[in-house]
Amino acid sequence: MVLRAGLRFQARHRPVQGARQQLAIGKFRCFQHRRSLAVATNAAPGSSNTPNIRTGGAGSLQIFDRCVKRLQRDRAAANFEESRNVDYLRDEVANRLVERLYDINRSYENVLDLGAGACHLARALHRPHPGLAPFASRIKHLTSAELSSKLLNRDPESYIIPSDSHMKLTRLAQDEETILLAPPSHGGLFESNTFDAVISCGSLHWINDLPSVLSGINRVLKPDSPFLCAMFGGDTLYELRTSLQLAGMDRLGGVSPHVSPLADVRDMGGLLQRAGYKLITIDIDDIIVDYEDVFALVKDLQAMGEANAVLGRRKSLAGLSKDVLIGLEGIYKELHGRAEDGGSGGGTGIPATFRIIYMIGWKEGSGQQQPLKRGTGEVNLKDILGEQGGL
Amino acid sequence: MCKLTPPPPTSIPQMTGSKIRPVDRLAQAVAKCGVESTAYGKCIVKDFNNVYKDKCLAEFQILQTCVMKHMGKK
Repeated sequence: MVLRAGLRFQARHRPVQGARQQLAIGKFRCFQHRRSLAVATNAAPGSSNTPNIRTGGAGSLQIFDRCVKRLQRDRAAANFEESRNVDYLRDEVANRLVERLYDINRSYENVLDLGAGACHLARALHRPHPGLAPFASRIKHLTSAELSSKLLNRDPESYIIPSDSHMKLTRLAQDEETILLAPPSHGGLFESNTFDAVISCGSLHWINDLPSVLSGINRVLKPDSPFLCAMFGGDTLYELRTSLQLAGMDRLGGVSPHVSPLADVRDMGGLLQRAGYKLITIDIDDIIVDYEDVFALVKDLQAMGEANAVLGRRKSLAGLSKDVLIGLEGIYKELHGRAEDGGSGGGTGIPATFRIIYMIGWKEGSGQQQPLKRGTGEVNLKDILGEQGGL
Repeated sequence: MCKLTPPPPTSIPQMTGSKIRPVDRLAQAVAKCGVESTAYGKCIVKDFNNVYKDKCLAEFQILQTCVMKHMGKK
């Protein structure tokens, strides 16, 4: 998603010396990483002395800086208290995804949670469900993969899994963008047909090469196994996006990407189909969160590790300029503040929309339901719907 | 569609000088300039299809002066 509310402010106030050093080292590594990326993508094919670091089939199109994303998540998790405070969104999404899991009447041996964050899904799986046992009782082994090891290991196991649970949790600090691309024979981690289900909850929106990752997931799934996913998409944070554009236009004379480009519902259907999934189901859900003001929203996003990591973002002047931040509040309230607030300075709260796309796709397998062939229909739809029916 | 209210922050930023993050100080200052902020917002949103650099410079300068005053800077 979004925003870096002034790295300049933040960097000056790193409390611990060690953390500051680590940040500097991390930043340098990210710089190196970006430079080699630029070399790899700008180089003419076949030119000799340029190292091609893109292996494993990832496309050359890079939108997000995964290295910076890891740093942001590390940094967010380092502030333990604030990080837990902003779990509300991810937890809500995870809970809703688990509700969809109940719709599939199955038990699973081996499940992969791709982009686990602070193991939100593992916690949601143990939430009691009215009339039913927690879903975790149907899962033997959950592997949680996450780019940032600090975020992944933020909570002790006792916080995530109650003592009476039989589910085994393995935490795997690996970049979810690359682990699935290749089989072990080519440097990957997982054999094909390994998992009984793959679940991804609120992290696919930072993936550069979504088609490759989706086919990677399809590869590691056993035949006739589901892939469930919740990702932020479409109109997520459109209020912030539009307000920032207006503020940027007025203050700086142009716009800079602050809110990521996000996949739309229609794109996801096509992408899943292209990656070979069958029986695709997609639905969307809007969660509107009320914040006190724009600063509260931006700070929460930062604490979630969702600050701006678009490669083309403004890097000079600390991402968001101070002038834009000052002007943002008034524009946001005026443009999107609700009527009851009156849009005036005395009003309370601004809405922020998070659009979550839920997807279920199945790997092809024998005995799966198939669409009938064209022309095999025996009943004319016109007879059922009537002349004007359905139009 | 649903509404979610984030829990109140457990630690409210302390008002003791240097411990508070500058961005929090900026947030507090902007919150105190509600009237100016609204005037600036209204100016931009009035014709939001035609925004150019320094379109609402006058309003912004008033807002900025107010924010700086509350941040304790001259």
